[in-house]
Amino acid sequence: MRAQLVHLFAKEFRKRKKKSALITFAIAWGTLSILLLMSFGRGLGNAFRISFKGLGDNLIMVYRGQTSKDYQGLPKGRRIMIYPGDIALLSALIPEIGLISPESNDYFTITGGGRETNRNVCGVGPGFGVMRSMIAERGGRFINEEDERSARRVAFIGWNVAANLFGGENPVGRTIVVNRVPFTVVGVMKKKLQSSAYEGFDADHVYIPHATFSRIHTQLFIDRIHIQPKRPEDNQVVERRIRQILGRKYRFDPEDDYALGIWNTIEEVEVAGRVFKGIEIFLALIGGLTLLIGAVGVTNLMYALVKERTREIGIKMALGAKRRHIVLQFLLETAFIFSKGTFWGAAIAYTIVRLTRLVPISYEITGIQTYLLRPIFSLDILVVFLVVLGTLVFLSGIFPALRASRLNPIEALRYE
Amino acid sequence: MIEMKDIRKVYQMGKVSLEALKGISLRVEPGEFVSIMGPSGSGKSTLMNIIGCLDTPTGGSYFLEEKNVAGFNFDQLSSIRNQKIGFVFQNFNLLPYATAYENVELPMLFNGKPGKKRRQRVLELLEMVGLVDRQAHRPTELSGGEQQRVAIARALANDPSLILADEPTGNIDSKTGQEIMGLFVELQRQGRTILMVTHDMTIAAYSERTIRLLDGHLVEARQ
Repeated sequence: MRAQLVHLFAKEFRKRKKKSALITFAIAWGTLSILLLMSFGRGLGNAFRISFKGLGDNLIMVYRGQTSKDYQGLPKGRRIMIYPGDIALLSALIPEIGLISPESNDYFTITGGGRETNRNVCGVGPGFGVMRSMIAERGGRFINEEDERSARRVAFIGWNVAANLFGGENPVGRTIVVNRVPFTVVGVMKKKLQSSAYEGFDADHVYIPHATFSRIHTQLFIDRIHIQPKRPEDNQVVERRIRQILGRKYRFDPEDDYALGIWNTIEEVEVAGRVFKGIEIFLALIGGLTLLIGAVGVTNLMYALVKERTREIGIKMALGAKRRHIVLQFLLETAFIFSKGTFWGAAIAYTIVRLTRLVPISYEITGIQTYLLRPIFSLDILVVFLVVLGTLVFLSGIFPALRASRLNPIEALRYE
Repeated sequence: MIEMKDIRKVYQMGKVSLEALKGISLRVEPGEFVSIMGPSGSGKSTLMNIIGCLDTPTGGSYFLEEKNVAGFNFDQLSSIRNQKIGFVFQNFNLLPYATAYENVELPMLFNGKPGKKRRQRVLELLEMVGLVDRQAHRPTELSGGEQQRVAIARALANDPSLILADEPTGNIDSKTGQEIMGLFVELQRQGRTILMVTHDMTIAAYSERTIRLLDGHLVEARQ
């Protein structure tokens, strides 16, 4: 095809600005709404994953429980406690475990920075921070192995506690007093999204080494064990092994679901992940159907464009235009309108997504805004969208183009 | 140049069939200037459309330069129209958004003539019809006579041997009409074959031979 011919087509196209602007607008609008729909849908799923990770990253939590089945001559209704020794036992017997940490907690009066507050103080192991997605603000750190081994009096505090006691000042290196025992603050938790919690959100807690906790508290048993499997897919195996091992030790039926409380967040995330994938697919489906309606509209407008130019088509045919010249002209026009429309639609959608992400979100409440204000404009969404839209536009362009090419030249020449 | 034998054209309109041409046999020699006359509905336009390869006959044979084009498909006929035939219409049929230059260029775009030769040819043709200085004007900026001259230049773009003119002076005043006819005479002098449909006896007088159509029959061929 000669460049000059394409140039002529372009010239003709410009003459039809008004009608083609309408189609361009329709495509831009469709692109915009569907990309936004999908970006917000994906953002929703992502915000959920992040906020769930705020509780824990691939986490299995083990609680004390009460038996609900008779076992080996023991009656049901027995309380099952867990003890610090279980940590070593489980990590020795279950090779699939990556990280493990005890957790015990109680409320204490805390003073620091000249202020006083009542907070949940948790004794935890060094792996706890990683498992619970706790990252220290710059200049600080979480509790480490050495802290635990030497039962150091160090504390890692939630950002609300820091704000409460020290206002805007940096608490790292300062002293807080917990239950009349002084602790050095070694780190402040960076803000994170957290959708699930027990005994309050992490922002309000004070974390100290578990060994130190045992010294300021009389409790012998531990409240919870946090476990992160090496591979998330091993979560079921690890859960079953915990029941078997602790069942043997404390004499309860491993099949007794109430003897130990186990919160398997990995399984929960997997289920929720499927739900959000489902929502995404549903949104894509709605988008697809909308596009289909749009494609019918574009087809109609293209037919109108063809009809309007019947006479010109006749003239070209009389002068020797072949069918492919006519088809090509209309396909080029459709392609041009399509490119222009999708470019503007995608550009506006991208801008809206970027601007929305600039809106600050609160870490205090896990409100709807957390989920709505972090849309994600990803390349794969755009590519899939362009392929689908491109196919639809091609289909909506090809039929009017074919009709144009099949016009009878004599009738086309007579068309007024 | 043209040899038609027993050409028939039947239009099917629902259940009614209308026979527009009822067995036309016609022979036109190369370099002849023939006018076709006849009342409305006599089949002039149908005959011209078939000769111009815009339509195909229902029956009979049509040889154009020794080729039987009666069985050609659309794209083959397009090539014939593009290479062998130049059309001049009563209402000019210029593309309204294109300049005089671009209108003349159009037939060459469809056969892929290289840019330089194309440009040379367009200017040569505009020169011939005396419109070089108006090459950048659109049809709406040209008078009827000028438009028809652009159309004639366009008809000659690919140097066809046959020119088909359908009432070429129908939409212009008689003085300009005479100028246009002068161009046709010049074209014939160059050796081209010209077939022209007209109602006007004075215009038909420019031709060497007039054939008359009546109700789909060729009734008279006057030398």
